[in-house]
Amino acid sequence: MTATVTAPPRRRGFPKQAVLPWLFLAPGLLLALVFKFLPMGKGIWLSFFKVRPFLGDKWVGLDNYTRVLSDHRFQEAVSHTLLLGLGISLGAIVVGFLLALLLEGQARSLKLVRTAVFLPVVTATAVVGELWRLLYYPTSGGLVNGALGFLGIGPVAFLDNPDTALWATMVMGIWMAAPYNMVIILAGLAGVDRSLYEAAAMDGVSLWQRLRHITLPAIRPAMSIVLTLAAIRGLRVFTEVYVLTGGGPAGSTDVWMTRAYTLGFTRNDIGGASAASVVLLCVTLLLTVTVNYLRKRGDVR
Amino acid sequence: MGVRGRRRRLAAALAVAGLACTTAACGSGSTSAGGGDPNTLEVWTRSDPDSAATYDRVFAAFTKKTGIKIDYQPVVNFDQQLQSRASSKDLPDVMINDTALMGSYQSQGLLKPIDPASIAGHDQITAKSWASTVGLDGRHYGIPYSRQAMALMIRKDWLRKLGLKAPTTWQQMLDVAKAFATRDPDGDGKKDTYGIVAPGSAQNGYAAWWASSFLWQGGAKVIEPDGRGGYRPAMDSAAAVRTVTWLKDNLFCGAKGLLQPGAVSAVTGTATNFRDGDAGMYMTGPYNITTFDATPGKDKYEVVPAPAGPAGADVLAEGENVYFGARTGKARQERALAAFLVSPEGQRIAMTSVDGHQPVVRIPTNSTLDAAEVRHDPRWSVVQKAYETASEQFPNAPDFAPIKQDTADSLNAVFTYCGSDVRSSLKELNDTLAGDLKDQDLLK
Repeated sequence: MTATVTAPPRRRGFPKQAVLPWLFLAPGLLLALVFKFLPMGKGIWLSFFKVRPFLGDKWVGLDNYTRVLSDHRFQEAVSHTLLLGLGISLGAIVVGFLLALLLEGQARSLKLVRTAVFLPVVTATAVVGELWRLLYYPTSGGLVNGALGFLGIGPVAFLDNPDTALWATMVMGIWMAAPYNMVIILAGLAGVDRSLYEAAAMDGVSLWQRLRHITLPAIRPAMSIVLTLAAIRGLRVFTEVYVLTGGGPAGSTDVWMTRAYTLGFTRNDIGGASAASVVLLCVTLLLTVTVNYLRKRGDVR
Repeated sequence: MGVRGRRRRLAAALAVAGLACTTAACGSGSTSAGGGDPNTLEVWTRSDPDSAATYDRVFAAFTKKTGIKIDYQPVVNFDQQLQSRASSKDLPDVMINDTALMGSYQSQGLLKPIDPASIAGHDQITAKSWASTVGLDGRHYGIPYSRQAMALMIRKDWLRKLGLKAPTTWQQMLDVAKAFATRDPDGDGKKDTYGIVAPGSAQNGYAAWWASSFLWQGGAKVIEPDGRGGYRPAMDSAAAVRTVTWLKDNLFCGAKGLLQPGAVSAVTGTATNFRDGDAGMYMTGPYNITTFDATPGKDKYEVVPAPAGPAGADVLAEGENVYFGARTGKARQERALAAFLVSPEGQRIAMTSVDGHQPVVRIPTNSTLDAAEVRHDPRWSVVQKAYETASEQFPNAPDFAPIKQDTADSLNAVFTYCGSDVRSSLKELNDTLAGDLKDQDLLK
């Protein structure tokens, strides 16, 4: 509102000062537009059509949405998605926090270990999936089952038993995501005022009290970033499941995105797949906004 | 919001829109560049670099013979790429891809109808092969290029060691599988061998693909023509219930070790137990012969006809067709290429392996050729005989993709839950299939 007062409207000529920043922004905006927003808009558009690329799309209104939302396999996928998203996000935060506490410091050996721990994040998910399939191999030839064999626990069919497959996928997801959180939390830990620790040591507080009253409040900004990222990413879980189980056995690890993928690319129903993706986008958006709102309210307090 | 703010927004929108238009123009210009030359055909195949090397030789021979150039694109994720080309209304001139996709492509309007008589040498293709390219409207939409039928690969050294013979019935196959799993055929003193390899995952419809041969052998069908131009689901038949129950009770939920570990989550890419030498039987396509000759080794296994079930020994037949993209306008050149591809010369080049590359024609559709003779390999006559006398394809006229996927989902669930009730599961599947057919207006 103040803009009108300070800058009298110019009727002639193009406002150069106004254009210049946009020109500088243009390349980035253009890339985002072409590769992000246009496809996204197209996806939303397609979700209202029976998509027939060659014959021309046919308007079906909300049919795709009702079909997806009433499909019992999508309904089953909701609980898997929530469980997996929540499990991976929280697990990765806890494990990431513990890793950060363990690996904080300047020693050369710690730097090495940190790099090693970070490797899962930079490894291609397809490779990670292959690796964990070998780890989970359901006979004593598999690494995990080999280790369990020493403890006298018989081979577990991790990925082939519908009761365990989701949990096995979750463990791999945590393994992949935790180091990323660790790095953010490490940055937060570096900013904690050392004198507080010293003072606490003099007061003779326990480890738990130190964590609860000094460390956690101090890394609050880092934690809020980690939480926001988790809210954005959690429900989008796809690659982990796709490379490890493909949604099976018997659909026991099917999540929202693997269902959408099957619908779009195995059954050639692009409209339905778009509708499913739009639903997920809305839920994710809502979740992110909620987390942000709660965070801001917390900050004010 | 002030005037200046509004102006600023307008300027931004204009700048962005202007730039976007430029890129869009560039984009459309570059895609149409290759399609302009009337003497160049754009040809797509679903091939990895290994088979692409064989196609390269085929197309080089064609260009040398006719002067028509080929812009060859081996595409691994064929259908995704094709969809994006379809949306820009600029299809490849010629495509070589699975027979089972014909119905799907035709329903999307992607294919040109083909008059067999217009293809030189069409009379050298058998009526059975031509019959497999008829669409729902009675016209042909593909030219049969390569065919194959499943066969049983079995470790002959293991059979010899245990004093057994290759099975010819389901029961014998079970007995051999049990022997392979329990009697230490590899002689290492450890219980680390398995009877049969089964890719039983629902991913990409593998469970349905693998189980289909057993369904045919048990006398079952997935869907069947209703005689009035439509189709009806047939997975609730007594034969289907009996077959699926047999597979579940004996293989997936039977004695341990009959199937490789992790069968319910295995796809063909991960079910490598036969190649790795720890499983003795694998019902699969003959393209694996090249792979298995390297490991476990040509002297270690043999190719035998599939063991017969209660209704016979029919196996799943598959293959590739040559398709012409709709509205491409190079009909003469396309027909010349198709004629070359199915000619004895073209098929011969595609059937031979140079430098260990994968041949792309398995069983020739040109009936003047004999697979075993061209390859100097008698094992191929087993496959050719199976194709000619005891095989059945998935119905090719309807869009089979959703039907296969739903069947795979259901079979995978039955095989996973050993306590499941097969009859009610298949009843449910039948209803789902009815819905799929209804979506295609095929359920009358």
